[in-house]
Amino acid sequence: MRTDELIAILAGATTPTPPGRARQRLLLACLIGAVGAAALVFGVLGFRHDYALQMRTAPFWMKPAYTTWLAVGAFMLVDRMGRPGAKATTGRLVLIGALAAIAVLAAINLAVTAPDGRMHAVMGRSSLLCPIAVTISAIPAMVAIMIALRGMAPTNLARAGLAAGLLAGGVGASVYALWCRETTAAFVAVWYTLGIVACGGVGALLGPLVLRW
Amino acid sequence: MLRGLDGDAGAHGELLTLMSRYLRGYFGRRLGAGAAELEDLVQDTLLTIHLKRETYDPNQPFTPWAYMLARYKMLDHFRKDRARTMVPLEDAGELFATENAEEGAVRRDLGKLLGGLPPRQSQLLQDVKLAGLSMEEAAAKSGMSVSAVKVSIHRGLKIMAKRVRDADG
Repeated sequence: MRTDELIAILAGATTPTPPGRARQRLLLACLIGAVGAAALVFGVLGFRHDYALQMRTAPFWMKPAYTTWLAVGAFMLVDRMGRPGAKATTGRLVLIGALAAIAVLAAINLAVTAPDGRMHAVMGRSSLLCPIAVTISAIPAMVAIMIALRGMAPTNLARAGLAAGLLAGGVGASVYALWCRETTAAFVAVWYTLGIVACGGVGALLGPLVLRW
Repeated sequence: MLRGLDGDAGAHGELLTLMSRYLRGYFGRRLGAGAAELEDLVQDTLLTIHLKRETYDPNQPFTPWAYMLARYKMLDHFRKDRARTMVPLEDAGELFATENAEEGAVRRDLGKLLGGLPPRQSQLLQDVKLAGLSMEEAAAKSGMSVSAVKVSIHRGLKIMAKRVRDADG
């Protein structure tokens, strides 16, 4: 086929294309991921019966606030990574802001804790479960986001995968945080961050394999 | 680009024509002018610009977007090319088979589109648009009148354009 004929066909095939459509699909992928994570967390670990009480406490909201903040930053990164040539400065700043905020909270948390209680503040009762649960909770989001991202046009597959992994981790962690019983900022700063970073690592490894279009 | 995103076919066509010139120059400098795969790569990239147009963010400059797409397509091409040159000589037959399957992403989609048409119309389109027969030759080959051939081809192209539009969403 001659190039000008291809152009004629493509020009004839053009339809109004709102630029926000890719972003909407990405958002939908996050929602699907969140629902999947909820099914996993509450299906496997069961419901908590102390919600009414818990929801009135600040620590209960601190965890999803932090992980959602991370997810928002990662979402901006993924949206940029799916667009060739776009710069990802804002997303990075939002991520750094979230990390700084939780670091400050954790530092305050440890400062007001008696020295012999500090170890417990960091380790909590579920330090091993947490990063693993976060990673597993992130699996549905990981799948949905990778599919949405591949429908865009990522050109640096490892970095796009990293961003997608962080976003999936953020989504999974936000859901798991609703179940988790830990209350200290130090615990969240260490174990939640570790779980989300692990998801980012998995995403970076998967990216070159699954994101090629 | 912006008007093309709004669905302005004329502007979209203009953009693609303009891009085809830039792309020919860009790929030509890197592959050597007149390289056999040059035009394939240009067409592949134009198709990509069209299919991936929603990933263009109007708040960002256009050139880096198009440049990264072209670069991605070229690297993709090199990757496939390298895989191909490593096939031993005995498998040369297979080689051409994979070349047809992989290289012609455009052609394969086209084949799918053609397959959706009635056989006679599809044959006419292939003869005239792909094999390069004149309208008269195609008419003689199919036993139809020249004007019937013209109408059939015109309708076929319209149907295909509609299919692409529908598949696009």
